[in-house]
Amino acid sequence: MSALPTGFTKLEPFVRDWAFATEKKRSEKRWSSTKEDFQVFYDAMLECLTSAFEEIDKYEIGKMPEQIKILYYLVLAFAEASPHVELYKGDSKVPYSFDAERFVASHGDISD
Amino acid sequence: MTVDNIKKNAMKYTSAYPEIGTGKLGVEPIISPALFELERERLFKKVWLKVGRLEEVPNVGDYKVKKIDVAHTSIILIRGKDGGINAFHNICPHRGNKIISETGNETFGHARANVLSCRFHGWVFDTDGPVRSIPREEAFSSLDKKCLGLRSVHCDVWEGFIFINLDENPTQSLSEYLGGLGDHFSGYPYGDSTCSYRYSTVLNCNWKVALYAFTEGYHVSTIHAATFPSLATLQHTDFKLFGPHSTSTLYVPPAEGIVTTPATAAFGSVLQQSERHRPHLDQLPKGINPDRREDFQFEFPSVFPNFLLHLGAGAGYPGMTYFTHQFWPIAWNKTLWEGTNYFRPPTKPSERAAMAHVNALHRNAWLEDTGTMEDTHEALTSGVLKELVLMDEELMIRNTDYHWRRYIGV
Repeated sequence: MSALPTGFTKLEPFVRDWAFATEKKRSEKRWSSTKEDFQVFYDAMLECLTSAFEEIDKYEIGKMPEQIKILYYLVLAFAEASPHVELYKGDSKVPYSFDAERFVASHGDISD
Repeated sequence: MTVDNIKKNAMKYTSAYPEIGTGKLGVEPIISPALFELERERLFKKVWLKVGRLEEVPNVGDYKVKKIDVAHTSIILIRGKDGGINAFHNICPHRGNKIISETGNETFGHARANVLSCRFHGWVFDTDGPVRSIPREEAFSSLDKKCLGLRSVHCDVWEGFIFINLDENPTQSLSEYLGGLGDHFSGYPYGDSTCSYRYSTVLNCNWKVALYAFTEGYHVSTIHAATFPSLATLQHTDFKLFGPHSTSTLYVPPAEGIVTTPATAAFGSVLQQSERHRPHLDQLPKGINPDRREDFQFEFPSVFPNFLLHLGAGAGYPGMTYFTHQFWPIAWNKTLWEGTNYFRPPTKPSERAAMAHVNALHRNAWLEDTGTMEDTHEALTSGVLKELVLMDEELMIRNTDYHWRRYIGV
């Protein structure tokens, strides 16, 4: 059985590396990604982003079934990874910036 | 045009406030450990300091403990039985132990049955302050229980922001202290924005290096060229001074060739289509963006001495209603920085994801901002520069420094 809802099986290859519930986990993935990693994930997500919004919005925050939650985590990962493709030329760090690992997200692990 | 006229035009905002002058900014206040000791006593223990939001302690008995390193204390902010906020030093009047064990710079919890008890010897205090019970009270030779309540701290609330004043006898009320700034910013529904994303870090720099780096818009087109290329046309204007506080407005006029990226367009449209998250310029206080310009980005005040508020009302970065920065000195060369984004809560998952996108861009911009601060501090510590030059739109820094000198007496 697919980890994702019907219609989103093309995203299956990204589930293991990108579908995380927490900002910290997603950030760790970003910090260790290559330009190619960002690009293939970005291209696949952008293609189905509008339909992904429609699919996750059939459910309430906090009440998503498991498959929908995985899709939602991929959308969150895209939200955080897309600037690396669109603005940072594939760099895993924000260019000319402070050490991101020293930033503490004091809001905790908001995930859904 | 004479040279004097050119100079006057170059300082069109600053020259409206002759008392703050057009001179240079001294480096000594940034690199002097001796002046830092004066700041502790004459500034941070005298003025009103923002320490929280009402939404952080929503229910009777909820508390937040905030460490205030610069005053060597931590403060309990607790929702009292009458629904108001009480503030106490986090210290037991018996032997001085902390009443609440802290887990970091900010500690949250709930007082059961509206009491706080010290785990050292079991003294119990009412959340309004008085000591309620003392184990083996008869074994003390004499006790004036009226003097053994929690040590209170002056506390007041403005627009949902909780402030304290560590002075035993503050010379001004919070309302007097904020003055015209309080009026200028009042009336916005801050309390609706209950969804917050807060980042913090300890920076190896003087707190004013961090504060001043965020107190001007001059750096935006260079420092934020990567994350916010569309801000290159930023207009920083409408400067107003209110005693030690100041404000200004940032507009970003539409410019030819602005590139909206596909992700920004997709997430932005989720928020634009939402009644709750779309820009609400109509909700801005009357004196802010009075012409209701659509290219309004945010109103940007400096609340003396260490708090910056940015009121966006959903404009600029779609969805975000306001964000704040605060700078807490730990030592002359060490600062706790806190940045918080405030949104109205999402009504559906796509809105939550769109907020994560705005939040990520913002966090990344703050990484760009904080990236200069330790370098600046280290270089200034060399003593090579004695003074710094400021351009017209850096006048909020100038005003902070002017009033800083009055408090410190230098």
